[in-house]
Amino acid sequence: MGRDLPQEDPLVRMQRDLKRALQKKPEDIKWGMVIDIAKCIGCHACTIACVAENKLPPGVVYRVVLEEETGHYPQVRRRFVPRPCLHCQNPPCVKACPVTATWKTEQGAVIIDYNKCIGCRYCLVACPYAARTADFGEWYTAETAELHGKLYGQKAAANGYEAHPATEYGKKWPERGHGSPVGNARKCHFCLHRLKVGMLPACTTSCIGRATIFGDRTDPHSLVYEMIGSPRVYVLKEELGTRPSVYYLK
Amino acid sequence: MKNNWERNLIIVTIIGLVVGSWGMYQRLAYGHLGMNYGSFVPWGLWVAFDLFFLGLTAGAFLITILTYVFRIKLLANLGPLAAFTVLVTLMSELLIISLDLGHPWRVYRFLITPNPGSMLFWLVVFIISMWIIYVPWLYFLIREQLIAWGNDGARAGHKVYRFLAWGKTAYTPQDRQQDHRRTRFLSYISLPIGVIFFGAHGAIFAILHNRPLWNSAMLPLIFIMAALLSGGALITFLAYLYQPDDELIHPLGHVVLLILLSFLFLEALQIFVGYQSKITGIVTSLDLIIIGPYWWAFWIVHVLIGSLVPAFLLIRYPENSKMVALACFLIIITFLAVRLNYLIPDLAVYKLQGLQNTFFHQRLRPEYTPNLNEWLVAVWVISLGLLAFLLGTRWLPVIQAGRGEEEHV
Ligand code: SF4
Ligand code: SF4
Repeated sequence: MGRDLPQEDPLVRMQRDLKRALQKKPEDIKWGMVIDIAKCIGCHACTIACVAENKLPPGVVYRVVLEEETGHYPQVRRRFVPRPCLHCQNPPCVKACPVTATWKTEQGAVIIDYNKCIGCRYCLVACPYAARTADFGEWYTAETAELHGKLYGQKAAANGYEAHPATEYGKKWPERGHGSPVGNARKCHFCLHRLKVGMLPACTTSCIGRATIFGDRTDPHSLVYEMIGSPRVYVLKEELGTRPSVYYLK
Repeated sequence: MKNNWERNLIIVTIIGLVVGSWGMYQRLAYGHLGMNYGSFVPWGLWVAFDLFFLGLTAGAFLITILTYVFRIKLLANLGPLAAFTVLVTLMSELLIISLDLGHPWRVYRFLITPNPGSMLFWLVVFIISMWIIYVPWLYFLIREQLIAWGNDGARAGHKVYRFLAWGKTAYTPQDRQQDHRRTRFLSYISLPIGVIFFGAHGAIFAILHNRPLWNSAMLPLIFIMAALLSGGALITFLAYLYQPDDELIHPLGHVVLLILLSFLFLEALQIFVGYQSKITGIVTSLDLIIIGPYWWAFWIVHVLIGSLVPAFLLIRYPENSKMVALACFLIIITFLAVRLNYLIPDLAVYKLQGLQNTFFHQRLRPEYTPNLNEWLVAVWVISLGLLAFLLGTRWLPVIQAGRGEEEHV
């Protein structure tokens, strides 16, 4: 009644923004994310999409949805704050790593070289946002009963899915055992392997509230740029001076 | 008598190695799967032991300060024993921290892709410096004795001693002078390196501005004090066992008392300032220490058995070597509680509101209690260290070489 329906799904716009970004010189792109708290309904779809995309083992999680409660009964409020790695522009985790296994790329994503990481977990201690988890080598199928045959039982189930890690960072990791990424620190990498082929991060495409906006934060025509300019914008723990590339809208 | 307790202790260490091997098997075969730490409390018992061992190396540092700065020359006699203790504790530290790493075989990365901006990198640099200082130091302190033992054809293994002495058969006054010069030089450089080394342990934690309990300039100082206290207590206790000379033990007892009181003062100050700051993160962490589920580790193990009783013994019986040694023994065996209390409580508090309700997994909880596997690995490492120490003091002239060392100070 007098109000226009949205013309375009933000996903379509973000997809277009991404295409444009990928035409730039890589060093001119600066990835960024905006999460609109007012739109997040706490469905955890992004968490699950991320777990599936990166085939995360038990106990490893890149993007959680925090549930914050404020006020006192009966004036209580609840809000949901999705928290990926915030890809800090001044990242304490990078400074902590003694062997430069984790660093900030020229596009502003903080990543880990699993083959360099010694698994000291100092970066986990240093991250103010608890955005890193360690891979202790756990299996979902550990409790599955062992049966003979190629279709059923622990081994068959694991071989069908879990034993083969996701192609994170665009690499083919060996079968899950003692080698990396088991024993490493792990974290959100903005789905760099998807971006490379023109796909938005899994959390962004799966967000049913369209609360997650992703793109090149230096492109004035992008949705993410527009959102960062909103008066509602804020960052987590600003006082620590980490300068996250993930912004929030109140 | 001495041989008896030594033999019994060797048997105990062998039992420790056998029992602990179950934990080692779990660690080597299944990695970190069987351990209790997780992603929110990523450092546990082994890191606490690492700090414990690093602290114990401070005994030699203390002896050097007392001999060269405060001119208590007689303590130079403890030089070889102290230097040897440093090497054994450093070895134990290296072992336990390697087991804590996800990929221990990649430690060469410290050399090929170092990050000079990381405190952890600097700690490794200083650990290597400690080896570089204390291996030759010990060697020059015991070289004369090694040559003598190498020349003693009746002594078992005299060929090994001859080999260790690089085939040298004579030790001239010039050699002695030269060795004294070298040890003096190493002692001097060990002083600044030691201060930075022990301070660097604290700095690893203190620089993290997301950890309110740790993030203070006082923490490195507290860590230096903690190292001096545990290291000083250890060397005093060892002096009582191996060189029971009242003239050595009594001044050390006084020094340990002084350090104990200073340490308690700093600790009380930290708790007082922490509570007065009323910052939720700090207060919750302090509550965990003082009234949390492990309150007894603070009040009974650390305050009562590890501080008040030793302080009483050291004040009441300063001239009784046995009591001084007992006080030091109590300080050492309870010191792990101090290390755990510095390490765990800050980690064991959620730093983001709502994190506890997001993802349920035992690795994503702030509660941490070391499990049997972790303790067994620790038992294995301690037993190995103790065995190396006992055999070393038998087979190397670390006790004999100390006598008369004060001459060169
Ligand atoms: S959120 Fe944590 S892991 Fe991510 S860049 Fe910042 S400090 Fe590093
Ligand atoms: S766990 Fe890996 S990435 Fe993290 S600080 Fe240690 S070596 Fe660096």
